[in-house]
Amino acid sequence: MREIEITGLGRVALVRSVDCIGAMCPRPQLLTLKVMGEVRVGDVVEVLSDNPSAVEGFPALAQALNCEHLATQRESGYWRMYLRKQ
Amino acid sequence: MTESSNVLMQKGSLKAMGVLLFVIAGSLWALSIDTRFLYLLVYVWFGVIYGMFLQYGRFCMASAVRDLFAVKVPRMAVGMMIAVALYSIVAAIVTLSGFSTFHSNAMGWHVVIGGAIFGFGIVFTGGCASGSLYKTGEGNMNSLLVVLSISFAQAIIVSASGWWDSLVPQSWIDSAVAKDMPAELSVTQGWFDIFTAGYVWDLKGATTAEMFGWADTTFGIVVLNTLLTAILPVAILLVLLYAFYYRKGYLRRSGKTALSMGEEMAGMWAMCTSSKNTALAGIGLGIFAGLHMYVTGVLREYYGIMNFGEMLVAMGYTNGLSLQETVFDPGYWYITTQEAQWGGWVMQQLGVNTMDNIFFGLENGLPNPLLNAPGFMSIGIIFGAAVMALSRREFKWKLPNWESAIFAIVGGILMGLGARIGMGCNIGAFFATVTNGDPSGWVFLFGMVIGAYVGVKAFTKWMDWNASRNSSGCDL
Repeated sequence: MREIEITGLGRVALVRSVDCIGAMCPRPQLLTLKVMGEVRVGDVVEVLSDNPSAVEGFPALAQALNCEHLATQRESGYWRMYLRKQ
Repeated sequence: MTESSNVLMQKGSLKAMGVLLFVIAGSLWALSIDTRFLYLLVYVWFGVIYGMFLQYGRFCMASAVRDLFAVKVPRMAVGMMIAVALYSIVAAIVTLSGFSTFHSNAMGWHVVIGGAIFGFGIVFTGGCASGSLYKTGEGNMNSLLVVLSISFAQAIIVSASGWWDSLVPQSWIDSAVAKDMPAELSVTQGWFDIFTAGYVWDLKGATTAEMFGWADTTFGIVVLNTLLTAILPVAILLVLLYAFYYRKGYLRRSGKTALSMGEEMAGMWAMCTSSKNTALAGIGLGIFAGLHMYVTGVLREYYGIMNFGEMLVAMGYTNGLSLQETVFDPGYWYITTQEAQWGGWVMQQLGVNTMDNIFFGLENGLPNPLLNAPGFMSIGIIFGAAVMALSRREFKWKLPNWESAIFAIVGGILMGLGARIGMGCNIGAFFATVTNGDPSGWVFLFGMVIGAYVGVKAFTKWMDWNASRNSSGCDL
């Protein structure tokens, strides 16, 4: 577990980080589905992706997976997305 | 926004401007050669507009069917339905004004089979035909590999002959022979020729208005083609998407156990606007796809032509025309046929005779890519997406790994096979058809849904098998 700072939310403890940089759809979505099924309620998961199409769909994916989409942060060449299992 | 972000944004905008200036300079160069190239430039610029909207909305139509089964997310399916509704309304206006360029597809089993093969393929390539083009514009070389695979697969499928010719029914061969086609097309050699002349040509294709004898009437165009064939199915599908994919989560988030009719409508609206970028892209694509038909129709009347081939002849370009002196010139958004022409043209330059078949030799021709008007629409999509991706700092060169390269090639071959059997892709065989009152597009979509369902199952099994061999496909 590691702690990170999310703008507007303060420090948040991460339980998993899913590195999907370079992955084509639907791999980022399916991996997120798998990981969110493995963590406990309240856990926060980070997903890294450089796939704009996957990033666009993450808020909707969070809703479908019964998760809270905490934030999407832009880095150089990729995005970090944070989901909390509800 | 930080200072470094501002600098990157400015650099991206400058590069985007550079791409746009390149397209403008190329357009002016074409017009300086012959002002009649305006006809071809309409394809270029509508392609640029499509590319910009596709990238803006991350409008990947493959995910419209795939994500319903993969992760139960209706975002793109909703976006696609919005685009269909808007396109159908504009198409009705264009048809009523007499400038429609639309032609129906033949209805038969081949539509659902082609759709299923295409739908299976798109799960592995990570994008449909137009999605692969706009992702190429984002710098994704895996998507370029998909485009190349679709191109050459189609060219080989429509022109090759071999032992598999004996697999087609004798009745198709007899029917193809009875068509009395020119000898140079050798229609009894090559399964695709036999399939086209012996099966597809014996089928009927019609809009709903034509089926009921109301073609060219306001009632037929507005009520039968637009309301009954496009808007009503869209409304039904949106209600189904809401009921099966969105309502449960909406109830949970609103903290209620039951909803009034007004709240249900608010839920539908929330579903349609859950991704504003996708919804806006759907609206834009729908409107411009309809306008594209109108502008091409007006230019055809202005130049007194029915097909770009006539204009090419008048300008002195006679290479690569079909036996009818035509080239592929749909007059609206289309993807796969011009990509097949690219592959066929390259094979022709390499010494393979790719004109001795119906697809190229009789129907679509094999023009030089510099004179391929719909081909420039596809290139325009790449440039338009690049402009938008650069200006939003989303352009990134990406090279495929071995796994994604194999998926791109094999998936692209399946997409090419499905597109040729189904007579188009999700654009030409679905989007452009249902919006113009041709119900065969819904049959193609049905096939795509089946194919995508099986594809998602297969892809998930592959991921699980791969994960059991390695620690994971992505680091956890």
